[in-house]
Amino acid sequence: MKNLLFRSAFLAALAAAPMLSSCSDDNNDTPTPDDDNEQITTLRYELTPTTGGATLTAQYRDVDGDGGAAPVISGLTLAPNTTYTGKLVLLDETKNPAEDISAEVKEEADEHLFLFEAVGTNVTVTRTDRDKNNLEVGLDTRLQTAAANATGTTGTLKITLRHQPGTKNGTATPGDTDVEVTFPTAVR
Amino acid sequence: MFFCALGLSRGGWASLALAVGLLCALPRLLWAQASAPANCALLLSGRVLDHESRTALAGATVVVLETRQATQTEPDGHYHLDNLCPGTYHVQVSFVGFAPETDEVRLTAAAYRDFRLHPDAVALKGAVVSGQRVAAPVTQAATTLTEKDLQQTRGQTLGEALQKVNGVTALQTGPGIFKPMIHGLHSNRVTILNNGVRQEGQQWGQEHGPEIDPFLASQLTVVKGAASVRYGSDAVGGVVLVQPRPLRDSAGTGAELNLVGMSNNGLGAASGTVEGNLRRLPALSWRAQGTVRKAGTMRAPGYYLKNSGFEEGNFSGAVGWRKPTYGAEVFYSQFNTRIGILPAAHVGNQQDFLLAVSRDRPLETTGFTYDIERAYQQVRHEVLKFTGFVKTGNAGRLSTTVAQQVDARDEYDKYRPRNDNRAALDRPALSYTNRTSTAELLWEHRPWRGFTGSVGLAGTYQFNRYADGSRQFIPFYTNYVGGLFWLEQWQQGRWLLEGGLRLDRRDLQVKRATREGGVFGVEESRFQYTTPAASLGAVYDASTHLTLRLASGLTRRAPAPNERFSDGVHNAQYELGYDLVPGNSPAVPETALNLGLTATLHDNPRLNGEMTVYQTRIQGFLYQSPILPPVVNIRGVLASWQFQQTDATLRGLDVSGSYQLAPRWLLAGKAAVVRGRDTRQDEWLIFMPADRAELSLRYEPASRASGHLQNSYVQVLGTGVARQTRVPRNYAERDYRLPPAGYGLLGLEAGTTLHWGRLPLELSVAGSNLLNQRYRDYLNRYRYFADEMGRNLTLRLRVPLEFSRPKSTP
Repeated sequence: MKNLLFRSAFLAALAAAPMLSSCSDDNNDTPTPDDDNEQITTLRYELTPTTGGATLTAQYRDVDGDGGAAPVISGLTLAPNTTYTGKLVLLDETKNPAEDISAEVKEEADEHLFLFEAVGTNVTVTRTDRDKNNLEVGLDTRLQTAAANATGTTGTLKITLRHQPGTKNGTATPGDTDVEVTFPTAVR
Repeated sequence: MFFCALGLSRGGWASLALAVGLLCALPRLLWAQASAPANCALLLSGRVLDHESRTALAGATVVVLETRQATQTEPDGHYHLDNLCPGTYHVQVSFVGFAPETDEVRLTAAAYRDFRLHPDAVALKGAVVSGQRVAAPVTQAATTLTEKDLQQTRGQTLGEALQKVNGVTALQTGPGIFKPMIHGLHSNRVTILNNGVRQEGQQWGQEHGPEIDPFLASQLTVVKGAASVRYGSDAVGGVVLVQPRPLRDSAGTGAELNLVGMSNNGLGAASGTVEGNLRRLPALSWRAQGTVRKAGTMRAPGYYLKNSGFEEGNFSGAVGWRKPTYGAEVFYSQFNTRIGILPAAHVGNQQDFLLAVSRDRPLETTGFTYDIERAYQQVRHEVLKFTGFVKTGNAGRLSTTVAQQVDARDEYDKYRPRNDNRAALDRPALSYTNRTSTAELLWEHRPWRGFTGSVGLAGTYQFNRYADGSRQFIPFYTNYVGGLFWLEQWQQGRWLLEGGLRLDRRDLQVKRATREGGVFGVEESRFQYTTPAASLGAVYDASTHLTLRLASGLTRRAPAPNERFSDGVHNAQYELGYDLVPGNSPAVPETALNLGLTATLHDNPRLNGEMTVYQTRIQGFLYQSPILPPVVNIRGVLASWQFQQTDATLRGLDVSGSYQLAPRWLLAGKAAVVRGRDTRQDEWLIFMPADRAELSLRYEPASRASGHLQNSYVQVLGTGVARQTRVPRNYAERDYRLPPAGYGLLGLEAGTTLHWGRLPLELSVAGSNLLNQRYRDYLNRYRYFADEMGRNLTLRLRVPLEFSRPKSTP
């Protein structure tokens, strides 16, 4: 009798066990903006002729993050034999208000190096700012153009940001690439 | 003592049945001897052997039908029947799990007669059902890797070990990640049952291996083809059953130690198990198990593959209480791993990407190290399970399984945050938690007019979240699934028929963060599906040596959240779900019709083998393919993938066989062929396994019964894989790199059991890719950048230990 009772109780417990498994309501959670996650959505290269005149801007912008709508890239058409003062602006526009990444880079200038590489166009870029270790950074630059491009041709200007925490030595080799953007560029 | 000698190899239930059988036979035995006439004194003796393995069967029943004299065979398989009169008798020999055999014996003097019993496939399966283990459907092609087979794979991941099964390949990411692929289907179409619990990890990435410690398993069974009625709608492609040994049922304490070392990547693995059964409380059994595994940099022929190391630490424990009419078991396991990701996949602009993909070897190579750098994955998987059963009087058996799983996955990007404060936190870029509660209630009714069957209820509650600050890749989702199934088997003579029905209801609620035009928002959606499944199959024993199986299954599978809503970058790969591809309407459920025919030639002295032909038609087949040109972000170009949906037909053939060339020489071979067609586009499907074949020759030298070395073997193995030529049209524009050339690999393995005192040490050494061949496999995601592993030597040692003192006879 005792055994039968025990068996029935066990049977009931078995049958009920699946229902007892926790179904706590986690349904109220909602995704939040990923503020800790750094993104660079926008890179602007602003060029002002040293002789005065309108500022030219090359821009890479991808406000919806990776994937989705493709980034919008606008290139440069520069005047021949001209010197420009260059300034780089980096933004994270997924944050509200937009985060000024270039200010951050400036703060940690001893860990960052910008590289400028022109191909198929007569452009030379020189870094004019330095970090506390007297190594170049590249947020501020001087851009010098020479003769105009052959008719109908356009070159490129590639801007790379190398992140070199603790390893910066003035060369491009150490560290990782944080930004690599190529702008169509022509001198006309 | 009796249990130790007989039962362990066949599990607790078989030994129990045997013990009962012996008790029943005993009075008859005594009676038979008492009534023998005095003038008859002839002796009939001999041995009873397993026809297949030629091993002695201890405890088999031998009955002389005419005189009703009966006996049991001794531990070495010998039997003796004395006091027989001269004459002709019919002697019947029977043993659990074997077909009984009756033979005519003419007795004029003392005679010696051996019997060889054939394993009874159907009866064996029945024996498995009544145990704690989950039984594979009998009508389907299924392959089981036993402890002996698994011993040759120790140290490998689960997915890697499963490749021993013909027709199973793996989607691979470097040396540490293998995702099993059955008959060309994988991920959401392969269900893994880990110790009776549906594995619910985070299978949203192609570089996410199953979060299971293979050392846990004493047996791996792969069911090839749809088994959705029993296991749920995800089992379209097949099922992998990871089964530990049943808890110990004989008093005492035992242990097992496994050690593995590999030369190529310096892999070291150690796994230990301790288990016991209390003499004073025979219902109570327990087991504790743990594994550590660590590997350094892998070496491809000519260079080291950067950041290819991994490490793993797992443990599990189980406590069971078992009586003949009821029982319960609690099981807990934890799996932890950290796996390095190849930096070659992280590239700059389009040109660098193309260069990286076309290179013979990655630009960045390295020396040997055990360090794991960024990028890496860190995964933890926990399972807590309760199972119980009770025999419901004459009506059958009721069992329940309730489990809770938590899977936490952190993926660290190669790039540290630029901001030093954030970098100091060392947070992963992706941090996901998936929690799943599963429950199943199963009632197996008692056999009735040849019918056996079961009715079950299954439920799943799952939720998926990512940590604050983590990047979104898979949205928040909550998933409820409820299902009801009924399976019935009917056996008559040489026929066995099986049919089943299932109905699942699924409610999926998704909350997805969006950033349209740069503005953050949350998009909520809800999807409900009712998915039926049906199966019908038959087994026909054409003769004692030939069994035919036919299986058919119809399944509807609701698309999984990752197939619909993947979005973003993880470990330098960009992936996009079907629903998010511009212009797509929501993905529709897949409908799959699966047919399989298997012929098995078994228990022959020389030639044995199996052949399976199958066809699976899938309407609305969801698959991933490369995006060209690849997606660009501010760091450059990413290898990119998106989900597509089409109609597909997969056909294939698995053949395997072995031939006993001479008493100690065994030749074995196997081959698998899969053909996948996209019937909507009328072209081949992408990422289907290439044709492959394997041939091995094994020699087992004779060993003296008293010798120190037993069960020795030497085996040479050749593997050939063809180039995959059946790929979609204009393939150069559809993938980043053409399928790699075919390859051939040579392997050699030798092993023995060394008796060191009372300790049997199982030792083996295996060499793979002995010619240090450079090759790439079409299904490895690293094939775009790097070669496969070069020459590798593996040393394995297994030590079983028994602590219980021999007990005096009860």
